[in-house]
Amino acid sequence: MHPGPPLPPAAARLTRRRALALGLAAGGLGLAAPVLAGCAAGSADDGPDPLIPLVTRARADADLVTAAITADPSLTARLDPLRSARTDHADALEKEIARVAGTATPVPAPAPATPQAAADLEAVRRAVADAAREAAGLVSSVPTARAGLVGSVAACCAAYTAVLGAPQTS
Amino acid sequence: MSVPIDDEAVNALQGALAAEHAALWTYTLILAFVPDDQAAVARQDIAGHRTLRSQIEQTLTDVGARPVSAQPAYATPVPVTDALSAGRLAVTAEADALAAWRSVLEHTTNQQLRVAALKALSEGTVRASRWRAATGTAPTIPSLPGIVR
Repeated sequence: MHPGPPLPPAAARLTRRRALALGLAAGGLGLAAPVLAGCAAGSADDGPDPLIPLVTRARADADLVTAAITADPSLTARLDPLRSARTDHADALEKEIARVAGTATPVPAPAPATPQAAADLEAVRRAVADAAREAAGLVSSVPTARAGLVGSVAACCAAYTAVLGAPQTS
Repeated sequence: MSVPIDDEAVNALQGALAAEHAALWTYTLILAFVPDDQAAVARQDIAGHRTLRSQIEQTLTDVGARPVSAQPAYATPVPVTDALSAGRLAVTAEADALAAWRSVLEHTTNQQLRVAALKALSEGTVRASRWRAATGTAPTIPSLPGIVR
């Protein structure tokens, strides 16, 4: 009857009111806790790019999935999308690293896969849970230009952790 | 001192709130079209979105901004006529919400807000994956949630 705006709802006509409060009152999103000062997101660092370990882990995870599927081809349907996702993550992270470096700096290949105790579903589940934790741990400290990417990687890995942690088939 | 919720962050939060309003409208609409098992999922999703909506509204109020209101109605990309089109609308609504939450991440350096936005992004990815699975949308879990494809 009243055709509204198409999805996604545009944020164009938003109230633009200054946020005056510096010390935030108890926030609905849990903003009340004191904030760590100092580790300001957005500061440039001199050391190696902090995204490099995420690339290495993503590539290693893709290799682990390949090994798990080789060992048990019945896992293909469940794990192949994860292999694609981790490859997407590595590619997107490398692109971001290159953007900041101003040059395509190849990320060192993952150390030759240490012979896995077992490249099975449980190993994959643990690996992707670790990946979710590692990326989530970086989300607070990376510059704004990177927070979305790192957050997406973390959210994707967390979702796979949830799915793989609840076996649907025996 | 904490990093303030500045105008940029407020605008991103308003975008997330608008997406939450739209998602709630969507789920209310599709309840009538989906089978019972999916309706049960939709009700859980409604609860999740309601929680996020009230959290954003509280946060915006706390920093002196007026939370955006819901639209009376929203245009759907395609008419909802059956369970499949209803599920697809849920996929769309969740994708929009994911994009909005990802945008919050990209528009604040406030660590608490980053953590809250990541939580919303992660929970939303799981919600989205259920509707993507129900509608045969591949991949079930998007590689980079919040990026519109």
